[in-house]
Amino acid sequence: MALESYGPIAIFAILALVFPALTFFLTRLFRPDHPTPLKDLVYECGELPEGEAQIQFHFQYYMFALIFLVFDVAAIFLLLWAFAWGDLSGSSGVAKYSIFLFLAIMFVATQYALKKEEVIHL
Amino acid sequence: MSQPLVPDLFATCKVLTGAILWVVQQILLALGAVIPPLKDLGNWLASDPVVSAVTWLVVMTVMLLWAVLINLLTMMWVERKFYSRLQDRYGIMVSIWSLPIWPFNRKDRPTHKGWGYLQNVADGMKLLQKENLTPRGADSAMFHMAPVLIASSTLMIFVALPWSSGFVVAKPDLSLLFILAAFSIAPFGILIAGWSANNKYTLVGGMRAAAQLMAYEIPLILCVIALVFTTGSLDVYEIVAQQERTLVTLGPLAIPAWNLFGPQALGAVVFAVAMMAEMERIPFDIPEAEAELVEGWTTEYSGMRFGLLFGFKWLRMIAGAGLISILYLGGWTGPVFTVVQVAGIPVPIIPEEVWFMLRVYLLSVVFIWISWSVPRIRIDQILQLGWKRLIPLSLLAILLAAGASLVGW
Repeated sequence: MALESYGPIAIFAILALVFPALTFFLTRLFRPDHPTPLKDLVYECGELPEGEAQIQFHFQYYMFALIFLVFDVAAIFLLLWAFAWGDLSGSSGVAKYSIFLFLAIMFVATQYALKKEEVIHL
Repeated sequence: MSQPLVPDLFATCKVLTGAILWVVQQILLALGAVIPPLKDLGNWLASDPVVSAVTWLVVMTVMLLWAVLINLLTMMWVERKFYSRLQDRYGIMVSIWSLPIWPFNRKDRPTHKGWGYLQNVADGMKLLQKENLTPRGADSAMFHMAPVLIASSTLMIFVALPWSSGFVVAKPDLSLLFILAAFSIAPFGILIAGWSANNKYTLVGGMRAAAQLMAYEIPLILCVIALVFTTGSLDVYEIVAQQERTLVTLGPLAIPAWNLFGPQALGAVVFAVAMMAEMERIPFDIPEAEAELVEGWTTEYSGMRFGLLFGFKWLRMIAGAGLISILYLGGWTGPVFTVVQVAGIPVPIIPEEVWFMLRVYLLSVVFIWISWSVPRIRIDQILQLGWKRLIPLSLLAILLAAGASLVGW
């Protein structure tokens, strides 16, 4: 059953991987290949490149990345919750509504955390 | 309700493949009179498992060619023509009479007063002949892998994205989740491409792509969660089938029950904005802001590598517009006016594919219109927009959807 519906996807994945790779290899037949030291320089608006670019980059979104991670994990819970919404019954309905409390706490915490990272420049 | 032109892509392709393999079998059998082993080969080729296996490959090739060769080129042409018109000029006008081969090389026809459809093909040919450069100091393996990752993950969207109820490669149960997963791989490839090229512009572009990803991915998935309250399913067929009924009848007009009309309206708007960021259309194209960052993360790519990266943005636009029309605009449903009988087979005069394509292209034109009308958003603004506007709005959409499903709307 799983093989029946996901087998074609697996084959298509191979085909999709082969397609760009084959394109790059086949263009060898049409394109020249004469690298020179000047050509191999990185582009810096015509100037000689200054230093390396693979440096320790000041990643300013560290805070955002952390909150993103929290939301990303929470999104899985929420998806399952929404998926099972019709089946979540129970007399008290705790399962149905308690996640709203979780959402509210998360939302307030996010907005507070974002207040600390107001100014961004990149 | 409308019928699909291709009721089952696999069955249609199987008839074709079977016929071709049957011809091959007959040829091999005829040759088998001289060379006996060819007889067995012919019979093996025409056996059912082999035909099925070859049919799968044909189905996938048909989908690839349909998406990349036909729709991608058409969408690029539409965009180039349309934004030229917005800028009060004609745009590309190369006509078919400019081709240097026999039936077209007529001296009496104007070569540059046409529709310009072949311009993108010409650009592709030009990129095909360009040299591929790898900058010195680049992380070579990553640099070569990133375009493959981006291109193939974009193609993977089309394995589950249906063009009608029959024109699709595979029908997984969680097709919506699969499409979204395939969509979200590309920013990772952008980050790799930006880092590996050892160029400052690409580095900044890649980092911006990562930052932008954080801003729009959450509202996108939250809107899908809000939608699941209404649909209760992650299967795109189920979602479209639910939108097929009529909501209200206003005189002669029957308003269909699209998800857009109802508690999902807010989610639809947020989803469309987040989708524009996902496809890196202009207000959200800060990873390759050509005014600030030369060409952003694609700066160091040349030749066909650049061509694929550049062209597949339109493929993502087609997929994004298709996803929005499936989720909120009723997918491929639509009225059929007349059914024509062609040799006993009923052929709908406006099949589902046409309705779907109509939505995709109209939505894309709207996206293009927005792109060429608004200025690019700044990097700090996208984080503001994503975290302080879109996320609260999408949480509100969840609340609305939950409330609506409680009162049974």
